[in-house]
Amino acid sequence: MSTLQTPQSTRKDNHKRAANNADEVLRVAIIGNPNTGKTTLFNALTGLRQRVGNFAGVTVERVEGSFRARDGRRVSVLDLPGSYSLSAGSPDEKIALDVLLGKSQDTWRPDVVLVVVDAAHLERNLFLTSQVIELGVPVVVALNQIDVAESEGIAIDIPELIHEIGVTVIPTVAKRGQGIAPLTDALFIAASLPASSRQFVLPEAAELALAPVRVLLEQFGLTKGAAEMEALRVLALDRTETHLAGVAGLAPTVAKAVEQLQAAGFSPNRLESQVRYEWITGVASRVSTRAKEQASQVSHRIDAVVLHRVWGPLIFLLLMALVFESVFAWANPLIDGIERALGFLGTKVGRLLPDGDLRSLVVDGVIGGVGSVLVFLPQIAILFGFIGLLEQSGYMARAAFLMDRVMRRVGLHGKSFIPMLSGYACAVPGIMATRTIEDPKDRLATIMVVPLMSCSARLPVYTLLIGAFVPAIHYWGFVGLQGLTMLSMYLLGTVAALVAAAVFKRTLLKGPVRPMILELPPYRMPSVRSLAVSVTQRCRLFLQRAGTVILALSIVLWALATYPKQTPDTSLSVPAQQEAQLAHSVLGRIGHGIEPIVRPLGYDWKIGVSIAASFAAREVFVSTMSTIYGVGGNVEDEAVALGQRLREERAPETGKLVYTPLVAVGLMVFYVFALMCMSTIAVTVREAGGGKIGWGWAGLQFAYMLVLAYGAAFVVYRGGLALGLGG
Amino acid sequence: MPAGSRVCALSACQSGSQATVVDIGCSADEACRLRALGVCEGAKISVIDARHCMVLDVRGTRLALGNALTSGITVHTGITRG
Repeated sequence: MSTLQTPQSTRKDNHKRAANNADEVLRVAIIGNPNTGKTTLFNALTGLRQRVGNFAGVTVERVEGSFRARDGRRVSVLDLPGSYSLSAGSPDEKIALDVLLGKSQDTWRPDVVLVVVDAAHLERNLFLTSQVIELGVPVVVALNQIDVAESEGIAIDIPELIHEIGVTVIPTVAKRGQGIAPLTDALFIAASLPASSRQFVLPEAAELALAPVRVLLEQFGLTKGAAEMEALRVLALDRTETHLAGVAGLAPTVAKAVEQLQAAGFSPNRLESQVRYEWITGVASRVSTRAKEQASQVSHRIDAVVLHRVWGPLIFLLLMALVFESVFAWANPLIDGIERALGFLGTKVGRLLPDGDLRSLVVDGVIGGVGSVLVFLPQIAILFGFIGLLEQSGYMARAAFLMDRVMRRVGLHGKSFIPMLSGYACAVPGIMATRTIEDPKDRLATIMVVPLMSCSARLPVYTLLIGAFVPAIHYWGFVGLQGLTMLSMYLLGTVAALVAAAVFKRTLLKGPVRPMILELPPYRMPSVRSLAVSVTQRCRLFLQRAGTVILALSIVLWALATYPKQTPDTSLSVPAQQEAQLAHSVLGRIGHGIEPIVRPLGYDWKIGVSIAASFAAREVFVSTMSTIYGVGGNVEDEAVALGQRLREERAPETGKLVYTPLVAVGLMVFYVFALMCMSTIAVTVREAGGGKIGWGWAGLQFAYMLVLAYGAAFVVYRGGLALGLGG
Repeated sequence: MPAGSRVCALSACQSGSQATVVDIGCSADEACRLRALGVCEGAKISVIDARHCMVLDVRGTRLALGNALTSGITVHTGITRG
C-alpha cells in the first residue's frame, strides 16, 4: 500500500519538479461521488487547518484547508461538493464544474485534481472519474475504502487500473490515515506530469458530428480535453447551462450535431452514458474481481429491518428519542462542571475586584452573560456528534427514504428531510444543505421551513426551562420526563415545519413534486477522527460566537440594566432596592414599554426584555436573564443556578410566582416557532436569491414565524389557564 | 425473448425481480442524473423493495427512486443476473 504507483511512461520526470522548495504551494481540488469518504480524506489531509466559507455569490459551502508535505512544501486543498457527474444541475454541481474548468471567479484553478473513488463501487465512481480525466488537468485517484472492498471480497489490480485510466492511483483508508503520505507525494509528482486525456475512442461518425461543437468550446477558452468532454455531455441536455451561456452559436451547433448523430444511427441523449459505461464495464472487468458479496449482504440485512414498513419508522422514532434524551442526560455532568467552574471564577474574580460597577461588569456582565451560554457547549457537541454519526453511518439517507411518504404529502420529497434534520443542529448548514435539491420551488419551500426545526441555539432556552420546571422523574426506569419534554419541543417544531411546507407548496411555491433519486450508501463504521474534527469545528464556531456577538451583547445589556442609577431608598429591603434600580434602568424602561405586548402570554417585563434582546441570537435570552438576575443579586448569588432563581422569582406587587410550569411551557413554545437568529436571516437572504427577492423571502420567513410563535404561546398560556393549569 | 420475460415499466416489477433497462422516459435533467448513477440503457437492475419509493441495486449501488421515475423507466424482465 505504501508504494507510490504512477504511469510508467512518465516516472522519469517525476523528480524534476520535486525539488525541495518550502515556498511552493500546490493547489489541489478534491472531488468525488457522495459517500466515498471524500470529506474524511480531506480531514485526514488537513486536520483542523480548515477554513469554512462560501463561494462568491452563492451559498455553497466552500471548505478549504492546507497542510505541509513531509519536505515542508505547502499544499492548499479545496473540498468540492460531492457529485456523481460533472454537470450544472444544482448550485453545488455548477460550482464544482466552474472550478475544474477554471471558470470560477473567486477560486484558483487547481494544479492537480484529486478524485476520491470508492473502491467497493469502482464501476459507478469511474463515470465521474472519466469525465475529470478529460479536463486537461493532472489527476490523481485516491482509491479509498480499499479495506472495505477487500472485506467484500473485491480484489483490484492497481497497476492494471493505472494502465487503463492513465493516471496515478493510490489506495487509501482515509479514516485510519492509511495511504496519506504516498498520496501527498503523488500530488506533487502529478503536477509535473502531462495532463491526462480521454481513454476511450468515440465512433468516427460521432467524432465528426461533435467536432464543430468542440471547436466552439475551445474558442470559448476551454482546453481541448474539456471541450471534448463538454461537447459529449451537452448532447443529453435540453437547455444551455449557465456556464456555457456565453458561447456564441452553441445551441444551433449542438442541434446540427444531434441531427447528424441521429442520421448516423446514434441516440444523442444517451451517447455519453453509452460510450462511458462501455469503457467502464471493460475496465472494471479487467481490473477487479469479486469473490463474494458478504458486506453488501450485511447492508441488505440491516435494511430489511431499518426500512421495514413497521419497524423502520419505529426505529427512526426511537433513535430520535435516544438522541434527545442523550443530549439532555449525558451532557448534565459536564454542564454541572462548567457551571461550578464559572461560579468559582465569578466568586474569585468578584473578591479580587473592588465593590462597584467594574466588579458588576466583569462578574454579572461578562462571566454571567457569556458563561450562561458557554454551559451549553457539551449539549451542542453531543448533538453535532449524533448528526455526524447518522450521516457517516449511512442512516441519514435511510431516514430521508422513510420520511419520503410524509414529505410527499406536504409537497416535498424525502431529500428535503436531510436539510431539515441538519436544522436540528443549526439552521445555517441546514439551509445550505438545500443546495442538493434541484427544483428551485422545493428548495425555497425547504429553506422557508428549516428554521422551524429546533436548532442547538434553542437548547439553552429549553434546557434552562425544562431543568427548572420539569421534574426529573423517569418512567419504566429509563424514559425521563425531561427528555420527553425536550423531544416534544423538537416534534412540535418538526410538525410545524411540515405543515408550513404544505402551505407554501400549495400557495406561493405551487408546483409538481419532483421524483426522488437518492443513493442509499452501504452502512459504514463512522471515523472517530473525522467525527472529532467536524464536532470540534462546530464547537469552535459556537465559542467564537460566544466570544464575540454574545460577549458584546452581554456587555451592552449589562450597561442597559445598570444605568442610569438612582439613589437607593434605604427604607426598602435590599432585594426591593435592587428591583427598583433595575426598573429604573434603560433596560427596565424598555421592558416596561413592551410589557403590554407580552403580558397576554403571561410574561413579565423581564421576560419581555430577554425576548427582545434575543432577536439577534436566541441563546442571548439565557444570558440576558442571567445578566438581569445577576444585576439584581450579588456575587455569592452567582453560584446559585439561574434555574433556581427563576423558580423562586415572585412578582413584587402580588407576591405570586412569576414562572409557573405553564409560563415555562408557553415560553418554550414561543422559542420553538420564533426565528431569532441574524445568521439564519442572512443565509436565507442569500439562498433565496439575494437582493430584494432574498430580503422579501427572509422578511416573510421572519414575520410568519413570529406570528406563529406569538399565537402558539398565547394559545398555550390562555388555554392552560382555562383548563386550570395556571398554578 | 425467453419464456416468462416481458417489457414493462420498472414500477410494475416485484421485490426480488431482476431486469434490464430498455429506455429512460423522463426529463433530460432526471435522465442525466439516473445515467450518472448507473441507471442507463442496458444496465441490469435488481428490485430490492417495491413500494411507493423503489429500492434498487444497480452496479452494486443501492438507489431509492420515486414512483414518477420508475413508471417512466421501461425494463425487460426475466434476465439472469450476470
